[in-house]
Amino acid sequence: MLLVQQLISGLMIGGIYVMVAVAFTLTIGMLNFLNFTIPALFMLAGMVAWGLTTVGIHWAIALLGGVATATIASLIVERFTYRYMRVRYGDATEHALPLVSSLGFLIVFEHLVLIVLGSEIQRFPNPFSSADFYIGGLIIGIPQLASLVLALLIVWGLSTMLKRSRVGRALRSIAENPDASTLMGVNVNFIVPVVFIITGLMAGIAGMLFTLNYAAVNAYMGDEVAAKAIAGMVIGGLGNIWGAIAGGLIVGVTEVLAIHFFGADIVKIPIWGLLLVLLIIRPSGLFGHTAIGKGKF
Amino acid sequence: MPDSVLSFQNVSKNFSGLRVIDEVTFDVERGSRTALIGPNGAGKTTVFNLISGVYPIDQGQVLLDGDDISTLPVRQRINRGISRSFQNIRLMPHLSAVENVMLGQHSHSRSIGSLLFPLGWLPRNRWAKQAEEALAQAGLGTYPGEVVANLPYGVQKRIEVVRAMISEPKVLMLDEPAAGLNEQETEDLRLLLEQVSERGVTLLVVEHDMQFVRRLCDQVVVLNFGKKIFEGLASEVQEDQAVKEAYLGTEDVGDAA
Repeated sequence: MLLVQQLISGLMIGGIYVMVAVAFTLTIGMLNFLNFTIPALFMLAGMVAWGLTTVGIHWAIALLGGVATATIASLIVERFTYRYMRVRYGDATEHALPLVSSLGFLIVFEHLVLIVLGSEIQRFPNPFSSADFYIGGLIIGIPQLASLVLALLIVWGLSTMLKRSRVGRALRSIAENPDASTLMGVNVNFIVPVVFIITGLMAGIAGMLFTLNYAAVNAYMGDEVAAKAIAGMVIGGLGNIWGAIAGGLIVGVTEVLAIHFFGADIVKIPIWGLLLVLLIIRPSGLFGHTAIGKGKF
Repeated sequence: MPDSVLSFQNVSKNFSGLRVIDEVTFDVERGSRTALIGPNGAGKTTVFNLISGVYPIDQGQVLLDGDDISTLPVRQRINRGISRSFQNIRLMPHLSAVENVMLGQHSHSRSIGSLLFPLGWLPRNRWAKQAEEALAQAGLGTYPGEVVANLPYGVQKRIEVVRAMISEPKVLMLDEPAAGLNEQETEDLRLLLEQVSERGVTLLVVEHDMQFVRRLCDQVVVLNFGKKIFEGLASEVQEDQAVKEAYLGTEDVGDAA
């Protein structure tokens, strides 16, 4: 029974990793760009929300404000990393500069938050502190359950959008060949920011759910989560949305089971150990294909 | 006076100091099937790239229906009525045939609203229906859901034509459409292009297969080393001395392919 409880908890925390992993995998799959700003977007959602509650704004509106800030920040990153490189050199994906400048933005955003909101761990008002329910002796927290359900629903919606909508089709064509897409009449400069809006929303909503679940925020809250999400993404297969879902959930369950069996001090060893073993057995990850982007959505 | 839909006026283009297109002027008559031919390296594909906006021109003008489109971006030129296929097929290999054709509709998406509404959640929305109909009209009705990478080369070439046609162009430019096709595939393609031409679309074709050119085209423009050396009827091109000399000395144009 205890093991089942741990599995449930793992899946629930995995929902947050799934969203962050999907945010990573989307920019890699679509734009061949590892966007290191994602941890900062995650953190911005939580910290800005907390900052807003300190000036008397209702927690729900504050959380929405946090997600909006993450999305706007993501668009700023697009403007000064990907688009800048594309305008200047005609191709952004062949260069490491967007990756490095996204790392720069991570530091800038984190330090801006440190300056404005401080480095302390802050308590976020927890509206669901006693919102648990029991099924056959298993405790299920409503925020955690909501996180998992919302994460899976959002990812399903995203996947459907990519498959069925015109903007999704345009995104998949850009993933295959941005130059040919331009020559076919796809407005690449208009469509690419959509990836960053989605990235900002995914990271922001994940940050919001994390804040609701743990009721605590700080300027580095994104770093640890993003590292686990990257592990999940690699386990699932780079650039593959369904791989990111599987990988994120596997990391969540591994983390909770590792804490249960070995304690919290060595939790990173099983996660990264699993990643290492999997990469030796299957270098492209569980759902990985041969090349980035192509046919993965 | 002939009604010209596309006019290439005194255009020059240099690459790294080398003049690859040298003050070339020609007109493409509305509704015509014009071939742009010349030996390898004559500048035919460069002309296509200058008309479609892949490269900016250094000097001169490209007019479409009398309007200067020389400085417009690719997308706006597609919107104005210029559409093209490529020497090497540029379909998205992991998208289905119908999805590739639907990409040709994107030039008409002017705002985020047109991208998101209609969202196209329904399996048979009007965009998909239009694309499927276009494929069926081109004799490709059995392939809409097939991933392009799995289809034969000749079918892919025809899908590329359908994709270019879906934006309802005034001028359809085809860069070596028959290259790599077997006899039957070439004939299928020619029939498809006849069908396109009968709908009033002007064809501008770069092609090495002179038999294909003779059967399809009525007008010919010949380039050599970036200069125009002939412009006139397809029936007259083989008799032109400058053209004969450009193609392997004095050998007949018909043998050059």
